[in-house]
Amino acid sequence: MRHQRREFLKLMGVGGAFTLLPLDIARAATTLSIEDRAVYISASAGDHDDYYVSAFNASGKILFERPLPGRGHDIGLRPNHVDVAAVERRPGLYGLILDRHTGDVRAKLHCPENRRFYGHAVYSNDGRLLYITENDFDHARGVVSVWDAVDGYRRIAEFNSFGTGPHELHLMPGGEQLVIANGGLHTHPDQDGRTPLNLSSMEPNLSIIDRKTGKLIHQAALKHDWHQLSIRHLDVASNGTIAAGFQYQGALTDQVPLVGIWQPGQDIRPMEAPDTVQHRMVQYCGSVRFDASGTVFGISCPRGGLITFWDAKTNNFLTHIAAPDGCGLAATNRTGEFVGTSGLGTGWRMDAIRRKRIELPDSSLKSLHWDNHLRRIEA
Amino acid sequence: MSLKFCWRTTSLLATATALLISTTAPKAHADIPDENYRPILEHLLGTVMPPKLDELNGATSNLADGLKDFCSDPDADGLLEVQGDFHSAMDIWQEIQPWRMGPLVANGRDQHIEYWPDKHGTATRQFRKLMFNKPAAFTDPKQLSDASAALQGFPALEEVLFDDKHSDQLIAADEDGVFLCQYGSAIATNLVRLTGEVRDEWPAFADAMRNAGPDSMDYATAKFAATDLYRALHEGLLIISSQKLGRPIGTDAKDASASRGESETSKRSLRNISHNLIGLFAIYDGKWGDVGQEGKGLSALIDSSLLDRSFRLNWQTVQDQLDTLPPSITELLDQPDGYQKLVDLAGQIDLLTSLVENDVGGNTNLGGGFNALDGD
Repeated sequence: MRHQRREFLKLMGVGGAFTLLPLDIARAATTLSIEDRAVYISASAGDHDDYYVSAFNASGKILFERPLPGRGHDIGLRPNHVDVAAVERRPGLYGLILDRHTGDVRAKLHCPENRRFYGHAVYSNDGRLLYITENDFDHARGVVSVWDAVDGYRRIAEFNSFGTGPHELHLMPGGEQLVIANGGLHTHPDQDGRTPLNLSSMEPNLSIIDRKTGKLIHQAALKHDWHQLSIRHLDVASNGTIAAGFQYQGALTDQVPLVGIWQPGQDIRPMEAPDTVQHRMVQYCGSVRFDASGTVFGISCPRGGLITFWDAKTNNFLTHIAAPDGCGLAATNRTGEFVGTSGLGTGWRMDAIRRKRIELPDSSLKSLHWDNHLRRIEA
Repeated sequence: MSLKFCWRTTSLLATATALLISTTAPKAHADIPDENYRPILEHLLGTVMPPKLDELNGATSNLADGLKDFCSDPDADGLLEVQGDFHSAMDIWQEIQPWRMGPLVANGRDQHIEYWPDKHGTATRQFRKLMFNKPAAFTDPKQLSDASAALQGFPALEEVLFDDKHSDQLIAADEDGVFLCQYGSAIATNLVRLTGEVRDEWPAFADAMRNAGPDSMDYATAKFAATDLYRALHEGLLIISSQKLGRPIGTDAKDASASRGESETSKRSLRNISHNLIGLFAIYDGKWGDVGQEGKGLSALIDSSLLDRSFRLNWQTVQDQLDTLPPSITELLDQPDGYQKLVDLAGQIDLLTSLVENDVGGNTNLGGGFNALDGD
């Protein structure tokens, strides 16, 4: 795969990171659709412990790749700005602020010695503040750090995440609250930073805090029988509905839900797919993403090689589409449509309503292993 | 087999395997054309599994018929005969059980056929209540099929046929005995229905797997479909280690409890594992008893005869070791060194798991992808 990537870069006449390339000239001469102008960005990896932030266009053509010092995870997008935040996956030490068009490094974030980044970051709607989930490992406590993007990305505050092992976080509609998936897993860098140390006592939850004061506003957990369902990833619809994907830490044969819907103030509503699909989800969900309309959400299940789709209006399973090692998921501007990426290098455009999957045609995409999460930028 | 010898054998095999891995690594991850996976799907799903599902359905039918005969004139010999029918049906079920895919898991069928592990003691609780109320609905197979999974499969029937108190009641044909007999018959008839459904739905599922391709939303490639077979092999071993052995082993010898094992009322927890291994090995080998053909399972993708032989040898060693043990964990734990033997067996299963991950997973390219193996 690395060889393929080098060949590709040779063909392009560049090496390392390079500037956003113009789209095909013939297509550029015509009016491009919104989707044609979209750029997808994700953490990625080569074959030899080499890691990147990479961007590609709607046909899967790689636009740039920026080497990272370690494996990335998700990408935070600064609204109305060129900055994107790539935070190292847990137990992460670095964060890089990159130019979304070129991959150039614009700032570096260093995790405090007694904290570790957990791979996810989100900006405030005004783009001024960046929020990152972190592990206060000595106290088995999750925190959300606050970084001032207009003051050289200075770390200015830290809030309690109100749980252990915080992972993905999002802004709630209105932009004044943050919802955090506290996965419940305690880890410590002295023990590799990834091995769970509290499987018998883990208490995952979803928490909503005021992004300015850190005050807890809402919190919900699953029933105790399901305390080993690590709530890791989530997305928020424009009406405030939160969809969450779980990763089960118990036995393979246990029958547990892997998806939940949460209306803040109520209980988390667990959702299950038909048995044959539920079984193929292999107790593990990767990314969660609402479509453009907020009525359908997709949840990737890389261990089972499936993307599952769910109806957010009826809270029912909708369908599934096979996607070997598929994990990254981004919504296009069309209802029910998503672009997904795979650790095997493939990318697809998927229609959850019509149950269709089309592979992205440009082969350059295959030069990389695409990591957990995918973000879409409308150019 | 002495403990010392057992450890030494395991250690030697592990070392040999490690050497094999290191010497064959460059070939291990060579790309395999998608078309190479298709004959394996064809063989395992189309040739091997259907007769086994027939066999399972036949065994449950035989059990149901046997129970009917027994209930018409119950006596001790008749009970022994029915218990034998139960063991025959359970043997083939345990071989099929690890193939957790498609019709076997649809509509919770695997759990309806055998609700285990029962972490919260649901079956015991519900069974006690059942015997107190003796509702007529539970003697009707159709109505029973809507009941709790804990009351309608093999474990419930095991309780009826093998629990000492119930055996006495069955033979005495008192009020409890008559109810138990009718309830047991309903369970057996329900099992005939369930296994018949699996058998009937299998061909369509097998077709979906065999027709894997870009147009299929279920299986994008033949390789991807074959991943389900690899996963069944891998997960089957994990379940043996973590649940079938791990639960009775507990944290130490004092914590060990045979009653946490599978099918301990009929004293066959280790016999179950032996049959699990037969079904699992068929995924690798392609031959399952009289059915199928050696070398047409996942092993067809292993291009190193040395690696293949090593894997077979390791597997056979575990099977041989199991053959030296009694059929139940209860009996094993009664032996002075029983606990250690149980722990050793779990260690050997774990070794097989690592061989599946490294040798089979690596050489067949079915061992999982970047995100599947190391996501977050």
